Amino acid sequence: MQPNLQVDLAPGRKRDLVLKNPVMPASGTFSWGFDFAARFDIEALGAVVSKGITRFPRQGNQQPRVAETPMGMLNSIGLQSVGLDAVIDDLAPQWSRWGVPVIANVAADTVAEFGEMARALDGLPGIAALELNISCPNVDAGGIEIGQDPVASGRATEAAVRNTDLPVIVKLTPNVTDPVALARACEDAGASAICAINTVLGLAIDTKRRRPVLPRARGGLSGPAIKPIALRMVYDVARAVNVPVIGCGGIESGEDAIEFLMAGATAVQVGTATFANPRALLDVIEGIEAWLVREDVADVHEIIGCAQPQPV
Amino acid sequence: MKLESAVVISNTKVYENTYVTWFHAPELASGVSPGQFLMMHCSNDRRDPYFARAFSYHRIDGERFAILYAVVGRGTAFLASLTGGDIVQAYGPLGKGFRLPGERGNLLLLAGGVGVAPMVDTAERAVAAGHAVVAMMGARSAAGLLPAGHWPADVEYITVTEDGSSGLAGRVTEALGEYQPWASRIYACGPNAMFRSLAEVLRHNGRHQRPEILMEENMPCGWGMCYGCAVFTRRGVRLCCKDGPRFNLFDVFP
Ligand SMILES: Cc1cc2nc3c(=O)[nH]c(=O)nc-3n(C[C@H](O)[C@H](O)[C@H](O)COP(=O)(O)OP(=O)(O)OC[C@H]3O[C@@H](n4cnc5c(N)ncnc54)[C@H](O)[C@@H]3O)c2cc1C
Ligand SMILES: Cc1cc2nc3c(=O)[nH]c(=O)nc-3n(C[C@H](O)[C@H](O)[C@H](O)COP(=O)(O)O)c2cc1C
Ligand code: FES
Repeated sequence: MQPNLQVDLAPGRKRDLVLKNPVMPASGTFSWGFDFAARFDIEALGAVVSKGITRFPRQGNQQPRVAETPMGMLNSIGLQSVGLDAVIDDLAPQWSRWGVPVIANVAADTVAEFGEMARALDGLPGIAALELNISCPNVDAGGIEIGQDPVASGRATEAAVRNTDLPVIVKLTPNVTDPVALARACEDAGASAICAINTVLGLAIDTKRRRPVLPRARGGLSGPAIKPIALRMVYDVARAVNVPVIGCGGIESGEDAIEFLMAGATAVQVGTATFANPRALLDVIEGIEAWLVREDVADVHEIIGCAQPQPV
Repeated sequence: MKLESAVVISNTKVYENTYVTWFHAPELASGVSPGQFLMMHCSNDRRDPYFARAFSYHRIDGERFAILYAVVGRGTAFLASLTGGDIVQAYGPLGKGFRLPGERGNLLLLAGGVGVAPMVDTAERAVAAGHAVVAMMGARSAAGLLPAGHWPADVEYITVTEDGSSGLAGRVTEALGEYQPWASRIYACGPNAMFRSLAEVLRHNGRHQRPEILMEENMPCGWGMCYGCAVFTRRGVRLCCKDGPRFNLFDVFP
């Protein structure tokens, strides 16, 4: 028998967020979805997550923007984006024709701007939920400054929630000592779900030139190298909040995804793995299903959060 | 874009640290235009290096294709160690290739170093389409040149070396001489320094030749997903892998 893979990331909210399976791309690793849709079945995915949407179009950072690292990469893309108007006028109408929910990843500079952007996207056909990127390490203003402070994170969440009926997912940075405090602040402010994690701050040095590889020095580390960090954060956050948690960081196989589900994630995002393997998202979906069949699990909910500490 | 396991047919050192590897892979070899590339995993288990490397199609023959590469790092060292029957994972074809003219013309192909890789396929197709082709390749010395036998017979092959050990002395862009006015179109692949000086040389009298270039950037994904490969052009930011790697010379080096 086919196991049930369907999950709801916004149960009991004004609008639900039902996914046919718990797998979606990570923001910024899937562009706007069209390149995938041109080559694979986009409707096989649980959801689509857009690249970070900024209020105005942004050029992004200079080259080099990426540095390969052991089992991963550092990026400093700098939110190259088409801007809010193009999303509303050009992209969302196309997304509305897909039989898969599209989650708009929103990157704002200020708390007020999160509110404005949430209002602009509210009720727009083609957008099923918002994901607040309060955790981008590669720009000067906003983002991470909000995302490292529980009070500011809560205010950004509240600003968005007040301005939309859409489920609001808040995406957390791992670059803090107490992610649980952040997650609780976002939950209290009305977040429908928490996504963990964004990239881990890192650095690479070009020994020949005796300077950092990336012009802005720091970059965001992603890929299998960060999986244990992401798993730990998902585990801690899932035990502290009552809203669904979306796990993200280094996932490239069904087995990886199962680990995140067992740690407490209701769904997962696949990012950097897609760069190394264009089929990674599909491999993860097929891998989860095969695992559930093999282990005779009828419903994916049976394993969500099942990995609990052993009594000592 | 197709994902396929490519089977090594042969692997030969053709000069200096440069190899040509032939693969059997019907999907990867079909529907390719000259200047397009593929992403090839340079490890047995796709672990180290984690990302595939971009390689231009060097030649295509039915269900087989060849790449030409210089051994400069981990990925290319792995490729150089391959032998017949070995299998690597790859996906392609990717990107936008050269636009060869519809009517018969005089095509000048310029190659700097390993930038020669896509020029042989380009020359083969241009000759087959009835164009007159001159290919110029520049290298530091004679040892860094693709041997003449690797070009189609109908191509006039001009070599240029910085130390004068073979052909004309100097750099490709200094040696253009009589060939530049002869050409109706110019196609180039090489380092950015070569494109910069080509733009300089052509700025006043070569614009009508609409020079097209193949650019190289860091490419983690190769298919428009990561935005790592940005090229800053006169018309805005473009992705090298998806909008390129073919660009109009003067859009990038105005
Ligand atoms: C569209 C496109 C087409 C391409 N086509 C070709 C092609 O046809 N043929 C080809 O050879 N390459 C091509 N490249 C480049 C290719 O993708 C690889 O980047 C290159 O071959 C190096 O890979 P690597 O894993 O061996 O080097 P890596 O280990 O990734 O090293 C990256 C770079 O660091 C430098 N480097 C590494 N190790 C050393 C060292 N020990 N000493 C000095 N420098 C070092 C090299 O310049 C190297 O390019 C293309 C790139 C693009 C974007
Ligand atoms: C090139 C690149 C661009 C990214 N852009 C964004 C973005 O715009 N918004 C965002 O919330 N996260 C962004 N991220 C973070 C990813 O969504 C994800 O949280 C992180 O990469 C960890 O997952 P992974 O290891 O599966 O890639 C980006 C990551 C990468 C590698
Ligand atoms: S290499 Fe990833 S977008 Fe071009």
